[in-house]
Amino acid sequence: MTIVGATAAFIVLLMPAMLPPLWAALGEPAGTVEHDRVMMMGQRQSRSAQGYSIESITVAGMQVKEYVSSDGVIFAVVWKGTGVPDLRLLLGTYFDEYQTALIEARRRTPRVRRPFRMKSERLVLERAGHSRSLLGRAYLPTHLPAGVRPEDIQ
Amino acid sequence: MTRMAVTTVLLCLLAACGAADNGGGSSAGPGLPISIGTSRVCVTINELCTSVTICQPGTGNCQTVSDVLVDIGSVGLRLFGSVLSTPLEQALDSQGHAMGECAFFADGGSTWGPVQTADVVLGAAPAVRVPIQVISPTFGGQSVSSNPCNDTVDANPGDANFNGILGIGLFRQDCGLACAVDANNTLYFSCNGGSCAGAAVPVGNQVQNPVWLLPSGNNGVSLSLPNVPASGAPSVSGSLVLGIDTAGNTAPANVLPTDDNGFVTTVYQGRTFTQSIIDSGSNGLFFPDASLATCSAPLDGFYCPPNAVSLSATIMGVNGRQTTVPFQVANTQNLTGTNNAAFNDLGGTLSTFDWGIPFFLGRTVFVGIEGQQSSLGTGPFFAF
Repeated sequence: MTIVGATAAFIVLLMPAMLPPLWAALGEPAGTVEHDRVMMMGQRQSRSAQGYSIESITVAGMQVKEYVSSDGVIFAVVWKGTGVPDLRLLLGTYFDEYQTALIEARRRTPRVRRPFRMKSERLVLERAGHSRSLLGRAYLPTHLPAGVRPEDIQ
Repeated sequence: MTRMAVTTVLLCLLAACGAADNGGGSSAGPGLPISIGTSRVCVTINELCTSVTICQPGTGNCQTVSDVLVDIGSVGLRLFGSVLSTPLEQALDSQGHAMGECAFFADGGSTWGPVQTADVVLGAAPAVRVPIQVISPTFGGQSVSSNPCNDTVDANPGDANFNGILGIGLFRQDCGLACAVDANNTLYFSCNGGSCAGAAVPVGNQVQNPVWLLPSGNNGVSLSLPNVPASGAPSVSGSLVLGIDTAGNTAPANVLPTDDNGFVTTVYQGRTFTQSIIDSGSNGLFFPDASLATCSAPLDGFYCPPNAVSLSATIMGVNGRQTTVPFQVANTQNLTGTNNAAFNDLGGTLSTFDWGIPFFLGRTVFVGIEGQQSSLGTGPFFAF
């Protein structure tokens, strides 16, 4: 079974109305990390930092890190690798805001050819890198634990 | 929607399309012309484009596609299917299903379409048979907004501002081992009927950097572009030379090997960025500096200092070699107001350091391909 196949089957069975997936990561409880791992069919590791923990999922040349605050909310997601993980899955309810910003950025005439970056009051998302090593990070600026700076999320 | 100056069908024998000017020696002859500001498709500021000829494999049925982005930040040739009049060979998996690919780019763009085999002719070099991506959002029953990339993919040349991308970066393939061993790689898919599923693809069947398959001059490329005034220039033209040790190349002063992921380290104002890139597909110098004023919409994310500022940063290779590169950042609003197309002082914000087109203006930049030997060492490396 593949990511795409599994997602499609799950949507058919449980999500006929195309609601935001219940296992969405960003902004959701830490328990959803395991859903992401299952959906991505990856391996999971945990480590603690000052005031938060990092849950890593490794699969197929990619690493996804979900940053969990001490009150159990995922406040940031970082990814890197040869591919790009399913951002609909990882961004959850924030995915639509990202898509809107992305489409707007690409409608600029002439188009701006630069690493993608969006910043709203709710969401900061950046993409960077190149072939073989694509990078990205998304975080919720209002949910950063005390003492955590944006540059700590790498 | 509108596409202009797209294709010229050439009827030529492969031999005639190929090495006629090559002389059979190690010299690859003159480079491919590359330019900014001379195209009606590549209309983005600091967008570097060229032309590429492709042929139906094993035939003289060839076509030259103009307005192809020159990108050392990606790997592989990708051409919009809508500009192709030449039939290519569809790549199939072991079950006979059509192979498709998602390619992702740092600007948030992504392309979807089938993997097909073409004979690719770069300048005066001989044709090489190589899997490329044909960009086609509807391939495999998919669409611009609903596809295996889980993203909104490039729809057409007019929206993308290119007819294709010539990815001639640091690597032999666009993915490598990760996509050969795991079907969940998010890049390669096998399509059957209206559905596509993740697929593992042997390294040799992946989309390839056409340069490393050349019979000679296959260890990398160099890009040479003239400099421009601080207020920019309406256009610039330079050359893309195949091969590091090609006759006429001047040895570069700095050879900076990258890490396994193609990154160099840049130190700027005391901060160290280990995931720094050198990328002809980025149109500015992108880096974090909170002391520089940023522009208002729609140029938000670019720098708009009241007056141009002189800055410098140090680029380091994994061998510890380093060199300090001076650069300028001007007011982007003033620059775009000139209606010029090529600027050496266009800058914007990013959390790491991305050396885009301004770095290439007034320089010759060498790209050494992974595992390929040259007088400058074995790739992957950048040199300038």
